[in-house]
Amino acid sequence: MFEYGFMRNAALAVLIITPLFGMLGTMIVNRKMAFFSDALGHSALTGIAVGVIFGITDTNLVMLAFGILFALLLNYIAGRGAGSADTIISVFSSLSVAAGLVILSKDGNFGRYAGLLVGDILSIAPKEILSLFVIFLISVFYFCFCFNWLNAAGIHRTLARSMGIPVLWMENLFAALVAAIVMLSIRWVGILIINALLILPAAASGNLSENMREYFFFSVLFSLFSGYAGLFTSYYTNVAAGPVIVIFAAVLYFATYFYARKHQV
Amino acid sequence: MRNKYRFVAVLLVGIALLDAGLIGFFRAGKNEAERQKIVAVTSFYPVYIAAANVVGDCGKITLKNLSEPQTGCLHDFQLTPEDMKLLSAADIFLINGGGMESFLGGVEEQYPDLTVAETSDGLMDEEDNAHVWMSIPRYRSQTAKIAELLCKAVPECEKELKENAAEYDRKLAGLQAQQEEIKKAAEGRSVVLFHEAYEYLAADYGFSILYGLNLDEERQVGAGEVADVLRAAKDGGADIIFAEELYGRDLAETVQKEADVFVYYLDTLVRGAYDKDSYLDGMQKNLDLLKEAFGV
Repeated sequence: MFEYGFMRNAALAVLIITPLFGMLGTMIVNRKMAFFSDALGHSALTGIAVGVIFGITDTNLVMLAFGILFALLLNYIAGRGAGSADTIISVFSSLSVAAGLVILSKDGNFGRYAGLLVGDILSIAPKEILSLFVIFLISVFYFCFCFNWLNAAGIHRTLARSMGIPVLWMENLFAALVAAIVMLSIRWVGILIINALLILPAAASGNLSENMREYFFFSVLFSLFSGYAGLFTSYYTNVAAGPVIVIFAAVLYFATYFYARKHQV
Repeated sequence: MRNKYRFVAVLLVGIALLDAGLIGFFRAGKNEAERQKIVAVTSFYPVYIAAANVVGDCGKITLKNLSEPQTGCLHDFQLTPEDMKLLSAADIFLINGGGMESFLGGVEEQYPDLTVAETSDGLMDEEDNAHVWMSIPRYRSQTAKIAELLCKAVPECEKELKENAAEYDRKLAGLQAQQEEIKKAAEGRSVVLFHEAYEYLAADYGFSILYGLNLDEERQVGAGEVADVLRAAKDGGADIIFAEELYGRDLAETVQKEADVFVYYLDTLVRGAYDKDSYLDGMQKNLDLLKEAFGV
């Protein structure tokens, strides 16, 4: 199957995207940000719509800029504690989807963007793999240097701040990183399922893990496994790759869930 | 602790084996393209039917279509791995063009050597309406263009391809001959359209479009638009609506309840059986409906 360029590209993209999602997913699940990343995925539509309004043709750039702004704004408003965070995120998420749909569906043109909902990893080109690789390197860098601080902030914000950890910076950087990854990979993974890919491997890993090292290891392993199993299944059975990857991740989640319940991990 | 790792190993291997078994069970029987033949791939249904008539029984060309007939217009078409394999084996890729195949950006980057040929080049009225096959004379030109492209790709079959194209063109000319009497009755009449494909009929038959909507799988109609349609029907004197059955029926029935109009469901000829005569049959049904609509 690797005689085909598209499969080589897709396999390489899975090799970059899935460990990245596995890694990031652990922090998203830990910090209870599942809804946040979901809202970010949905805001991709608005990002494109903003690009359409201003006539900017490079949709990646607009989506990236809009995603990061959106994430920082969400963080800021949720952090002020004026209402419950999930309600605020829900309001933002719905508003951004609605605004995106209104602008993109004008004159019946939504069909042009419908592919974003499911994504298409088979059409990824080497240039785009390179941009994913760059964000992968940035994420690894962030995790190597900031993970402990972010984790400390997640466990007890005030205590972390009293220890001199720049909590706000860490949180904003993390939100911007999640936004950048979601926006750069949404075209390949799809709005409808990107959150499942972020959350499921980490959640499955959380069922089994007893420490951070295991949590990381299993999450990346499950993510990689689902990615490749989904891609190969898609190749041989001729179905869309993204949803199959999610199905594998969901099977892993349920298997680990029942194992953990039985063995009280 | 060790049990947990063993469980994960067994789980992953188990799923991989089960998946391999299921793939073996469901895997579609695949025929690798015969490399000694020229592989021509078409992007979707109307282009395929035209090309199939031009290719006929020519043994030197393998003709394949990219999307399933149910796909219809290519708005949200996603390439499957099977399609990608087909394209990687293709020598010539015949597309409709005019923005119909929006998925092509990535494909052209991935297969820089593949010849991608637009068959509606120079046939479109407007920049964003690529449904040229709805007009019989334009479809004849499109078929001629396909024949020309295939002759260039397989010069040794030129004679056979030209004969096939001429034979198909004769049948299409027979359809076109029926247009004249409809044109006489339709000229000057006002019609409401629920699909942009029918704008080519307006150009062919000379009726005027009082109001046009382009209803497809994603189109959400605003309340103001429904009011506009009703106004066009009541005040503008339009008594005919042409709609596509699949996506236009709901709105058409709503309008029919409130205004004195007749709705005719015309085939946009973007899906159907992989039969060489399906365009001829579909267009004949459309002609019959047009005759009924304009009282011919």
